[in-house]
Amino acid sequence: MTDLTNTVNTADRAEVADTASRDRRGASSIRMQGLRKQFGRDSIALAGVDLDIKAGEFFTLLGPSGCGKTTLLRILAGLEEADDGQLTIGGKDVIDMPPHRRSVNTVFQSYALFPHLSVRDNLAFGLRMRGEPAAERNRKVAEVAEFIKLGPLVERRVDQLSGGQKQRIALARALVCEPDVLLLDEPLSALDAGLRGQLQVELQRLQKRLGMTFVFVTHDQDEAMVMSDRIAVLDSGIIQQVGTPSEVYEHPANAFVARFMGHDNLFAITASEDNWVDTGLGRLQLDPAEQRDTPDGWLLIRPETLELGGDVPADYNRLEGTVEERLYRGSRIEYRLTVNGHPLTAVAGNLGQRIHDVGDRVTIGICPEDLVRVAA
Amino acid sequence: MRKRTLKRSSLRRALTAFWWLTLIFLYLPLAVVVLFSFNASNSAASMTGLSLRWYHQLLGNEQIMAAFGNTLILALCSSVIALVIGCLIGYGMYRHRHRKLGWLIVLIYLPIVLPDIVFGISEMAFFVQFHRLTGLLQPGLGTMVIAHVTFQIPFVALIVYSRFVGLDPTLFEAAKDLYATPAKRVVHFMLPTIKPALISAFFLSFTLSVDDFVISFFTAGPESATLPIYIWGAIKKGVSPEINAIATLMIGAVAMAAAISLLFNRKRQS
Repeated sequence: MTDLTNTVNTADRAEVADTASRDRRGASSIRMQGLRKQFGRDSIALAGVDLDIKAGEFFTLLGPSGCGKTTLLRILAGLEEADDGQLTIGGKDVIDMPPHRRSVNTVFQSYALFPHLSVRDNLAFGLRMRGEPAAERNRKVAEVAEFIKLGPLVERRVDQLSGGQKQRIALARALVCEPDVLLLDEPLSALDAGLRGQLQVELQRLQKRLGMTFVFVTHDQDEAMVMSDRIAVLDSGIIQQVGTPSEVYEHPANAFVARFMGHDNLFAITASEDNWVDTGLGRLQLDPAEQRDTPDGWLLIRPETLELGGDVPADYNRLEGTVEERLYRGSRIEYRLTVNGHPLTAVAGNLGQRIHDVGDRVTIGICPEDLVRVAA
Repeated sequence: MRKRTLKRSSLRRALTAFWWLTLIFLYLPLAVVVLFSFNASNSAASMTGLSLRWYHQLLGNEQIMAAFGNTLILALCSSVIALVIGCLIGYGMYRHRHRKLGWLIVLIYLPIVLPDIVFGISEMAFFVQFHRLTGLLQPGLGTMVIAHVTFQIPFVALIVYSRFVGLDPTLFEAAKDLYATPAKRVVHFMLPTIKPALISAFFLSFTLSVDDFVISFFTAGPESATLPIYIWGAIKKGVSPEINAIATLMIGAVAMAAAISLLFNRKRQS
């Protein structure tokens, strides 16, 4: 698998550039309006989804299982019919178009390689079904095999491949058709952590080179943040937030998004006045920009913004807490504190500063600008 | 410790002996028929020497050759028709497997468990009535093909169904996603994928048809005797060595078809 990472570095630059420019004209935007889907009587998969995906974007649908992300992807592919709503790809209305007529290809979670065909015939399947002449087909298959660095795998039988190899071939089989949009349904979830990290970087690089629109589905927020230009967080068939990874992570639209992005430090706001809020931790000062009229919602404190021990600058919020647990993670140290009886997590980079022990009383400094109000 | 291994090895020996006894029980009667088909003398009681005389005599017997021809035509036609219909039913069962169709599956199974004699008599009664009313379907090869197809269909349907169930369902979606129209999905995806199952089902059907006596007997006409029917008729005059020769050929043919069916069945499972 290491050679896949090297592919783009070492592959013939001219050919890569050629493939990239050829595919760029295929990049298409996607517009969804009011997409609804219901299974059976009371299982609502999508409760009216409006979403715009830009041409050439790496866009991720993120959410827990059952949130509707896979249903949405299947509607884009045409494998599922929406009950209601509009869908255009590249400005073309495709809502009633069957999957075999859409210029959209999917990399399936199970890879779905045809067991009765060799790797080469799997790669050529889409082109063959589209009726491209054999010479053209062979040229494109050879090109994609070179581009994804499949090498001798092309002659193998599908049942002789490892999971990582199948993954690459499923990707190549979809890319060789040069679709307007590439859909990826949790393609990395079956791979082990190392290979997965490698392929995350690789996929992202590939997408930038091809300039193709990628729509990626995952339930892993780290994966989504690493790879995406923009993320849509879904829950219960509703889009909770759309934004860049930093927007979604640093300014989650609501408590669900905050929790799903891995935030533990959420505190109910009991009262607020100007730029002051009351929480279980005590009274805290916010940046004036975070000032709201209503006292409802949550206060989000990102663990990495807390400053433990030492002097607290005058314009910072100052709290005191006790270290309950210390998790040494090498590059960083995670502290589980209690402040006024409430748990608070802090993460400090391991920069050689003093390491606090369990039971220590520590001062906690919080810059007002790092506090974020989150809707309920 | 030593005692235990001794015990175990004697148990193993007993099981091995049991295995051989079972094989002898199954195959000794067949072996006798095969052996006597090469008997040089007329007697069914004693072997006097080896000869191919009865096989020569077979080739000269027009009745036998006609029965042989009928058997082949019947098996081929019924197997091809049953393959097409059974394949469609197997696919239908797969496509709609999520609906509550348990009772339909039971309907498919019924001919398998129904006694042949009941099935044969029913078919006969039906054909007689049908012929009386319409003048069509005179008892003969035609009615026999129909009767054979009816009992072959469930086997074909179940083999095809089990092949489809064993496939990753996203393969069907991948074919759609990769621009295959419904017709191309059949030709380039479904048929090649289930090919081993189809070959297996064909040879199983063929074997069932060649083997069948009861249903053939009730649906045959005067001109359409198959080998089993001929043997049954001939045996009333006593077992001639000729019959042994026919039986030997049939054993060989059926064993071969069954072996091919098994081979492809195993291939599709691996």
